[in-house]
Amino acid sequence: MGSSADKPKLIINGKRVDGRGFSEMRPMKIEAGVLKNADGSAYLEQGKNRILAAVFGPKEATPRHMAKADRAIIKCRYAMAPFSSLSEHGRSGPNRRAVEIAKVIREVFENVVILEDFPGSQIDISIEVLQGDGGTRAAGITAAAVALANAGIPMKDIVYGISTGRIDEHIILDLDMIEDNFSDADIPVAVSPRNNEILLLQMDGGMTKEQFKEAIGMVMESGKTISKIQRDALLEVYRKEEKRHEKNKKQ
Amino acid sequence: MKKIVLPGDLISEGDEYTPNTYTEGGKIFSAVAGMCTEDNRVVPLEGSWTARTGDIVIGTVTNVGRNGTYEVELEHFMKGMLMDKFGRTTFIAGDVVEAIVERVENRRTVILTKPRRLHGGTVIEVKPSKIPRIIGKNNSMIKQISEITKSNIVAGENGIVWIKGGDTGLAVSAVQEIERSAHISGLTDIIQEMLLNKGN
Amino acid sequence: MGAIDIIKSMHVRDLIVEGKREDGRGLMDFRKIKVETNLFENAEGSAMVDLGGTRVLAGIKMDVETPMKDTKDMGNFMVASELLPLAYSEYEAGPPNPESIELARVTDRGIRAGECINLKKLFIEEGKVWSVFADIYVLNYDGNLFDASALAVMSALSTTKVPKYEDGKVVREDRSASLKLDNFTVSTTFAKINGRIAIDPTGNEEGALSSRLTISNDGKVVRAVQKGISGGWKEDEVYDAIGASLEKYKELRSHIPKVR
Repeated sequence: MGSSADKPKLIINGKRVDGRGFSEMRPMKIEAGVLKNADGSAYLEQGKNRILAAVFGPKEATPRHMAKADRAIIKCRYAMAPFSSLSEHGRSGPNRRAVEIAKVIREVFENVVILEDFPGSQIDISIEVLQGDGGTRAAGITAAAVALANAGIPMKDIVYGISTGRIDEHIILDLDMIEDNFSDADIPVAVSPRNNEILLLQMDGGMTKEQFKEAIGMVMESGKTISKIQRDALLEVYRKEEKRHEKNKKQ
Repeated sequence: MKKIVLPGDLISEGDEYTPNTYTEGGKIFSAVAGMCTEDNRVVPLEGSWTARTGDIVIGTVTNVGRNGTYEVELEHFMKGMLMDKFGRTTFIAGDVVEAIVERVENRRTVILTKPRRLHGGTVIEVKPSKIPRIIGKNNSMIKQISEITKSNIVAGENGIVWIKGGDTGLAVSAVQEIERSAHISGLTDIIQEMLLNKGN
Repeated sequence: MGAIDIIKSMHVRDLIVEGKREDGRGLMDFRKIKVETNLFENAEGSAMVDLGGTRVLAGIKMDVETPMKDTKDMGNFMVASELLPLAYSEYEAGPPNPESIELARVTDRGIRAGECINLKKLFIEEGKVWSVFADIYVLNYDGNLFDASALAVMSALSTTKVPKYEDGKVVREDRSASLKLDNFTVSTTFAKINGRIAIDPTGNEEGALSSRLTISNDGKVVRAVQKGISGGWKEDEVYDAIGASLEKYKELRSHIPKVR
């Protein structure tokens, strides 16, 4: 939260600084299967966010004592690249913020991945923020869910993430960096669309119960769009090959 | 009509377990990206290998134990254990072997039997979910590649394909093309054409 | 290295005796190169290089800092690298390991020794200089990170825009001036496998090599050299590699975008 003294005007004539409506998310694009060595991967663009997610496994759990006899364990990494922000050069590797984010993301996927299928093994999820502009943990979840499906890890659903929040009396969806810095509340959310269960929920700022309801309602509504983008990315991997063969046939 | 399904997609009503699905509230859903067949089975397009009795696998001997037991690396989270008490062949660490899965022990160890050493050649790793397609119905696909490239090919269900002799490069290209195109129908003809046109 | 990789490297060793490589290339051929620049507007410069299956990203950030004590009239250039766990199943998260430190330092040396960036021009005023940070992000490993990283950092630098420095503040929204480069260097890496020498080794070839030689040049002279792994090089082999390296300058240089 920035101090109110230097808070810029974030809502002008009923629109947000970048011209979006309150419940409008930034344009989102996902490509699945972008990395060769990873078992599954996805590249996501959402506004200025550029995020790469990759999955390895199931593989042998290391160190051995971390392994669980009845199920797989998930290890998650979230890190911001040193060149990812518009401000100064960042430190490389995960800091304390990143370690906490990685933990809550891991817990999201522990809900949907069918861990019992691979006792004693480990599934690695890596989320690298190449360029960050607000809402990167939610976007990281959206990307990682596609990477997991692309890796063929059995799971119950393709989870999506998006952030919501409040500026003055307005509830808004998908906060960018400026909005995130000066908002009155910021709420990253992840949802399993099959039953609309909330799997990630964090907040700081101030919200009434009614405002909370409106915010979560916006998230659920945007889920339809995000899920479609995720599914299209996964299906495109196969459609691309179909198109290639059709083209070859014509020649 | 076969169609592509994704995790969470409804397959059918019911609650009986079939591979690559899960049940919830009296309904069966897909757990993976796969092809849904007409009889509502989900054939995965991605994912790791699940060891089943009778599967042919390829691995590397990493440790020599007593009484003809060997540890075999299968590029999988489960270790392979070769028991060949009455076998005439002895292996050394680093040998590439083809073997058959006898059983899975403690959900941790894959017990292997009937080993055969694979001399020389090279190996490539492919997605295990694509191996059935690389082998083809009654070995038709692998036979076709072998005949045209004059290469000796063994495909392990654990995603390792061993290739030796003949036009190795062309055989590798063909296997990788099948890996990319496993969901496409009429693949046998496509691969035949590719092989006869030398990969172009 | 996994057990399966040993088999692959044995195959590579068998092939090279006949002068062949696993992907059908000649011994002195590079793999296909693709360079993309200006990928991220937050960074001052960026580039992604595909060298066959190897994919490396470089990002440039510039900050105003106080100069080093012994070079008060000069700016700073710093290279760091991360072998990201998503690039290869054997890479693990954690503090920089010797491999990633060597990669950063060898990349740094080729560019610094080539005097590509005129560090004196990064001087702003008494006690204020620009620091140029180049971060190498390895996204997919398939051998020869040295040449891919050098190309990525050079390409990112050549498209780097310097933020405005006004009233003691860095204005990143106003980046109209290009970072001027005085020279261009390229890196060429040679692998010695089973007694034969091949340029631009793949991952499997790196598993099979006995020794490695990385030579940076600017088209005229050799600017930096790094020999790696335990095997040795005969004098003539080194001279041949230098000759081959200089011959490759034009091809590699053609992938680095021209400074506007």
